Amino acid sequence: MISVNSAQHRSWIPFATVFIALVLQVIPTPELIRGFLPDWVSLVLIYWALALPDRMRLSFAWVAGLVIDLVTLGIPGVHALSNTVLVYLAKRLSLRVRAYLLWQQSIVIALLLGIELILFVVVDFALTGSLGEVHRWTAVIVGGLVWPLVYLALRRSRHLANLGR
Amino acid sequence: MVKSRDGVVRSLGPYLLLSAALIAAYLYLPSVRTVAQSAAVIGIPIHFLASLPSTALKGMQGHLTTADQLRSDFEAMRQRNLILQARLHRFEFLENENARLRELLSSMPSQAEQVTLAALLAINPDHAALAVMINKGSADGIFQGQPVVDSGGLVGQVTKPSLFFSKVSLITQEDQAVPTQVARSGLRTVVYGSGSGRLLRVPYLDRNADVRAGDLLVTSGLGGRYPPGYPVARIIAVERNLAEAFMKITAEAASHLGRDREVLLLWLPTKETPALQDPMETEEDDD
Repeated sequence: MISVNSAQHRSWIPFATVFIALVLQVIPTPELIRGFLPDWVSLVLIYWALALPDRMRLSFAWVAGLVIDLVTLGIPGVHALSNTVLVYLAKRLSLRVRAYLLWQQSIVIALLLGIELILFVVVDFALTGSLGEVHRWTAVIVGGLVWPLVYLALRRSRHLANLGR
Repeated sequence: MVKSRDGVVRSLGPYLLLSAALIAAYLYLPSVRTVAQSAAVIGIPIHFLASLPSTALKGMQGHLTTADQLRSDFEAMRQRNLILQARLHRFEFLENENARLRELLSSMPSQAEQVTLAALLAINPDHAALAVMINKGSADGIFQGQPVVDSGGLVGQVTKPSLFFSKVSLITQEDQAVPTQVARSGLRTVVYGSGSGRLLRVPYLDRNADVRAGDLLVTSGLGGRYPPGYPVARIIAVERNLAEAFMKITAEAASHLGRDREVLLLWLPTKETPALQDPMETEEDDD
């Protein structure tokens, strides 16, 4: 890994992107497209876990998940749990996935989001007895489809931040 | 293999335990619940930013409408106001009459409900559950289980009050049930959420029950959670099958389910309201 030491690191940028994703996540949306909107925070966390596996801490994913739970008045710990597992998997896969083409990455991302959803549904079912979240499989597929865009946008932000390779 | 499994346990384990502990604490310790609801204030800037686009759009609409359109809108509203006022006069008359009659019957008068206006902060805060977020919280006296209505009818109930904002579960959520009655016939039944869209389920009506398409279902006030007389759903289709004991009924929610920008929060008058005498009240609402 070649690190760019000459320029100044702006390590607040990943935090800012997660914050923006959080805002996108709670934005009021028309009823029609609601079920298709991907989990923006998950996508952003996956990106940073793939791009900077050594710097990305599980604690960051956990806290981000906790913030989602608090902000949406859900049961605190549910998103924290699913996000941490997601980031762990993304970190483990990072070396392999980074070598993939974008469309191949999309498939992996959709799989990761699917695993996260399954985890989320299981926990939610155990706690509330409702399987309502299963509807979100469409959002998983859309998440895979928009991955290239998310990837390109975040790669630009990473270059801006002077982080990683 | 064994090594990597160790790695999983060591790196992921603490977080899983922490999450599980937090969830358990939240479910079993009321104090943790209070803390979580207070900690939700960190969401205020996030909700504020998220509501900016729709607020800006609303502001832009104001700038882009022409004077002509505003004038015609104003005219339409003035007319509507006149009609509503005329109706209100009649309603006041009926209310007085109702109070008198109740006095004659020496039963408790039904007091007027207290209401508070709240604006919507977010729709479907977690993209999945049929819920909306409103900008009033326990600091404004909002409590869990508080009924929420809009111009169309019943929207749902407050399920998660936080300090400055709260989550409202819509009646279309699968686990929501509203005691209702048919406005026309007074027949009582329970309406359940369908879990998606605007549709509601009315599962337990006998196949000979007096219900037809177009009937309005209003809250019956039974159960004491929702005040009586608010529209809940309109029946779209009734399917009678001789082979089955119950009818298959499709109903659509009467309210806009949080598509309005504002909703009303209701305070039930007092605890000792006689919930069982409500059928009389709803009849008068109807015409």
